[in-house]
Amino acid sequence: MAASPATLPRRGAPWLPDPIRRAGRVLAIPLGSVVFAFFVGGLIVAASGDNPFAAYQGLVCGGFGTFCTGGQIPALQISNTIVYVIPLIMAGVAVALPFRAGLFNIGAEGQFLVGAIACTTIGVKFSGLPAPLLLPLVLVGGMVAGALWAGVAGVLKATIGAHEVVTTIMLNYVAQWLVRFLIVGGPLQLPGGFSVSSPIGSGAQLATILPHDNQLIFGLPSSVYRIHTGLFIALAAAAVYAFLLWRTSLGYEIRAAGQSQRAARYAGVSVRRTIIVTMLIAGAFSGLAGAVQIAGVDHNLTDKYFSDSTGFDAIAVALLGLGSAVGIVLAAILFGALHAGGSVMQSDAGISGSLVQVLQALILFSIAANFLSTIWLRLPRIGHQQPAGQAPAMGTEGAPETGEKGGAGEP
Amino acid sequence: MRHSYLRFLGLGVATFLLLAACGGTSTTPTKVVRVGLVTDVGGLNDKSFNHLADVGLEKAKTDFKIQASVVESKTGDEYIVNLTNYATQGYDLVIGVGFLMQQAIGTVAGQFPNVHFAIIDGAGTDAKGNDLKLPNVESLLFKEQDAGAMVGVIAGMLEKSGKAPKNTGVISAIGGVSIPPVDKYIAGYKWAATMEDPGIKVLIGYSNDFTDPAKCSSIAKAQIAAKSEILFQVAGGCGLGVLQAAGQAHVYSIGVDADQKDADPSVIASALKKVDVATYTAIQDVVNGTFKSGALTFSIANDGAGYALDNLTLPADIQTEVDSVLAKIKSGALTPPTDIPK
Repeated sequence: MAASPATLPRRGAPWLPDPIRRAGRVLAIPLGSVVFAFFVGGLIVAASGDNPFAAYQGLVCGGFGTFCTGGQIPALQISNTIVYVIPLIMAGVAVALPFRAGLFNIGAEGQFLVGAIACTTIGVKFSGLPAPLLLPLVLVGGMVAGALWAGVAGVLKATIGAHEVVTTIMLNYVAQWLVRFLIVGGPLQLPGGFSVSSPIGSGAQLATILPHDNQLIFGLPSSVYRIHTGLFIALAAAAVYAFLLWRTSLGYEIRAAGQSQRAARYAGVSVRRTIIVTMLIAGAFSGLAGAVQIAGVDHNLTDKYFSDSTGFDAIAVALLGLGSAVGIVLAAILFGALHAGGSVMQSDAGISGSLVQVLQALILFSIAANFLSTIWLRLPRIGHQQPAGQAPAMGTEGAPETGEKGGAGEP
Repeated sequence: MRHSYLRFLGLGVATFLLLAACGGTSTTPTKVVRVGLVTDVGGLNDKSFNHLADVGLEKAKTDFKIQASVVESKTGDEYIVNLTNYATQGYDLVIGVGFLMQQAIGTVAGQFPNVHFAIIDGAGTDAKGNDLKLPNVESLLFKEQDAGAMVGVIAGMLEKSGKAPKNTGVISAIGGVSIPPVDKYIAGYKWAATMEDPGIKVLIGYSNDFTDPAKCSSIAKAQIAAKSEILFQVAGGCGLGVLQAAGQAHVYSIGVDADQKDADPSVIASALKKVDVATYTAIQDVVNGTFKSGALTFSIANDGAGYALDNLTLPADIQTEVDSVLAKIKSGALTPPTDIPK
């Protein structure tokens, strides 16, 4: 049982170097899901009488700015994709972290919305404050709001055992209707009849990476490129997530609680406390995503948040990214590109944008239906070449902390 | 066998070149006008204004030989992206459907002063909702109160002459959200019904939603319980729930924007907002080089608003009154209000 990874029998392709084999095994499931989804999606396009290659060419053009035929500007397409990717990374972390603790946070959307609400409220009420004060205030405000929102579900789970799937879904509705109330006849509504809030103060806005004026960049006024500094916040959030999970004792407790609550309890971990803390942190990530979206892109709470789906896409991002920080960033890029590419696919290839949603659903389906159990069983062992049937080791690709497994297994 | 393969390849290339050459010579030097239409999140199958905008676009495509393209916005995040995509691709006219796109049109039209923009039910605005009065934006607005007044006359006359299902003297309207385009419909409706039958009671409710029929259905049921027997829906896709609830309760309903005769047998009439006419007109303006910025208002006077009779044949006296009110609004003798009368 105490065999070190090096002595385990090799499977697969023994001639390949270890890192490549390891990467191949990790990527097999998500890549397989994506390929499956695109294949079936292509069949659906073909069956409805359209050209699947034209559809995907439009999708790739809109997502990554390559293979464009309609005169699109590649830099603009990439910028659009990144704008979509930014909140997906943070909300993806908000789903992935509880997943590590054995919790399904379906409430990223609600936490995202209350983050946006908090950011808007603070940004409007204190619009006169200077940026060095106001910007951190709105972002932290969003995090706190998201944390409290998710914390409700965490506390309910830890104290009376209310299932977090149910409570977080219900809290999504509460948040969605709260947004409606606030900007449709509520206190945040801008006078004049339309369902939008006042814009946040300029000090609360995240700067765009390119200058926000009409100076030409790639032949377009630079204000067209909406890519903003929230990108760095999102990447930092992913890094913080990885650090938290693999380099802190809290991260260890989260993972321990996720694998076996009994074992974790036996090892001296307070599972209740871990559940609450996990949900608080996850909510903070999602709330940050909402705050960044307001501060970086919209600058006011509008009716478009009624149809927002960031928090739901984040579930797919977290699953496809296998809960790892790098995976989440990659999956977010894929989903951001799908979102952005859908427009070009419609306008150039004349294919319904609903196909993009079909593709997303197919990706999710192929992960959830076929592979979820596989992921769940293998999650702790990814990176260790350990045959099925052996006791799972705790360490994974990021941190082979072999000492961890002793806590639960060897009294 | 290799040779025959190559021969086919050669033949293919020759054919391709020939076709390409033909293609080059057969196109006329006149520039084809390119028009892009961006729907709001309601999508093309909303049986309402997105659908009508597409109808107008298709008609213009046939009449003016323009190149037309449509993108459905799946989320509000996509408005800017979809509008910008058309603008960067050198489209001549980009049409945004619905007031939800006001701010996006304001932003993108400012960035692309050489592209024409048109927006249904709105203007190009800043974040505070102020009209930026951009020189390249045409606002396609409607006198919804005209259309509302026509169905209001029908409802009022039915009550007054005792031809309503139960003759309770109560009618109602269900709005999506209390915003100008919705309230103007209801204003005309209540004004005209009260004009025909001063004793009538008009209930008004809002669903705060434009998409979920269940929400409108529950408000409709509450109004029916309060004795309403003619229900006017002004709530887009949500309002389909009103029509169905009226059908289940065997009372009358009135459709909005498009002719909703087929949505439910209870629909006796529809208030029409001819978004197809507006879209067509905007395209025509660009094709003819007569594009003007600012508001273009569609009303009964220019046949941009009106009503349709649906699953009920009006008694002759009511029809006479409806025709007379229509003529008076057209001539300006009657002016329906824009604010809901107290």
